[in-house]
Amino acid sequence: MALFSHDLHVLTGAYAVDALDGSELQRFERHVRRCQSCMSEVRGLREVATSLAFAASAETPPGLRERVLQLAAQTRQLPPEMTHHARRRWSLRAWLSRHRWLTGPWLIWMPRLAGVTAVIAVVAAVVLGITLSDTEQQLNSQRSQSAAIAAVLAAPDARTVTGTVKTGGTTTVVLSAVRHDVVVSTSGLAMLPAGKVYELWLISSTAARRAGLLPAAVSGRTSPVLASGLAAGDVLGMTVEPAGGTAQPTSAVILELKLPTGV
Amino acid sequence: MWRMDHTDPDPPGLASVPPGGRGEHDLDRLLRRVARGDQQAFEMVYDQLAKPAYGVIRRVLRDPAQSEEVAQEVLLEVWRTASRFDPAQGRAATWVLTIAHRRAIDRVRSVTAAAEREQKTADVPVPHDEVVDAVEARLDRERVQRCLGGLTDIQRESLTLAYYGGYTYRQVAALLGVTLAAIKTRIRDGLIRMRDCLGVS
Repeated sequence: MALFSHDLHVLTGAYAVDALDGSELQRFERHVRRCQSCMSEVRGLREVATSLAFAASAETPPGLRERVLQLAAQTRQLPPEMTHHARRRWSLRAWLSRHRWLTGPWLIWMPRLAGVTAVIAVVAAVVLGITLSDTEQQLNSQRSQSAAIAAVLAAPDARTVTGTVKTGGTTTVVLSAVRHDVVVSTSGLAMLPAGKVYELWLISSTAARRAGLLPAAVSGRTSPVLASGLAAGDVLGMTVEPAGGTAQPTSAVILELKLPTGV
Repeated sequence: MWRMDHTDPDPPGLASVPPGGRGEHDLDRLLRRVARGDQQAFEMVYDQLAKPAYGVIRRVLRDPAQSEEVAQEVLLEVWRTASRFDPAQGRAATWVLTIAHRRAIDRVRSVTAAAEREQKTADVPVPHDEVVDAVEARLDRERVQRCLGGLTDIQRESLTLAYYGGYTYRQVAALLGVTLAAIKTRIRDGLIRMRDCLGVS
């Protein structure tokens, strides 16, 4: 076992320059999460890799800057990651700092009260835990959707395409052909009358498949929605349909966006 | 992990980061502004990191068109995921350039590329000299060059084949005809020696 973990530790170098792959990479990443010294070594070695990258600096192709900035302006950003662990720790710490008298320096002089404080802290932790688990349940479905979206964005084959909607506004699509998933967000779409929604479709040469409804726009943008079941050659379509959506498009297609599903 | 930082007002002089200067500390701050949707901050991040990002991608992929495509994806990813940058885990430049290198590697290791590459490895000469020759003149270049020069041949070759060549350490072992155990150690030793030479912590 000792030999095994030493073996893994030597991989910090290969990991820092992305020279691990497959199951070995997964195993090392699991190991490094539990190994503080590996993690700090990887951090230091990554700094070296950064210097190697700076040393390879090259003139960027003309037009890249404009394109990237323009695409950025049309791309919704991910919200910060709030892990379960982080939220709980943060909450407890915030609560304790709001009740600073519990942890004040007088504890040193009144050791018996420290026990009382500990009890209070435990009670507080339990209460907080209950409150949090409540919120967590509400967040769960939202989070699994977010996780699926994050997985598409992080997919090695993720591609971004944007298209103009005929009735106004733009649509940005991030797709992963490998995961068969598409993430769709929009900005500046025309306001719809009450009782109408934008519906998305994955259109092949033979059929249009439902790909979900756009949520209501907030400050002109709709938050990303995930559509699964992407197949090679699909086109993303959009129509305006009655609230709740329909099984097949019933109005004119206002967006036809070719999805680069090939390699 | 994300930190709310109210005690960190945007400094007024950010736009005057000296050209060519590293402004690393500023980059961290800029990236946090990017996370809040600040497009001007993103432009400044772009101007500081697009060249090394594109450069390292280009070095790994070689093909200019593919490199441009990957660079565009990477820079957009920086915009999209800026909220995930955690200063406690390392500098902003390291975060961005790690993404750039990884995406280039991902492209190399996608199935078709791998097949193609395998056919080519036989006739592609080991590119370790080019690594040092073709790099653009920058402040870092000379230091990196000097430090690379301080490595043993096998350390230098292992490291540059892995990082610039985009090979896995197993492929590096095969290319150099050395055991896996030796390559793992050489890459790590090489990086550690570079770290000490460059004076990064």
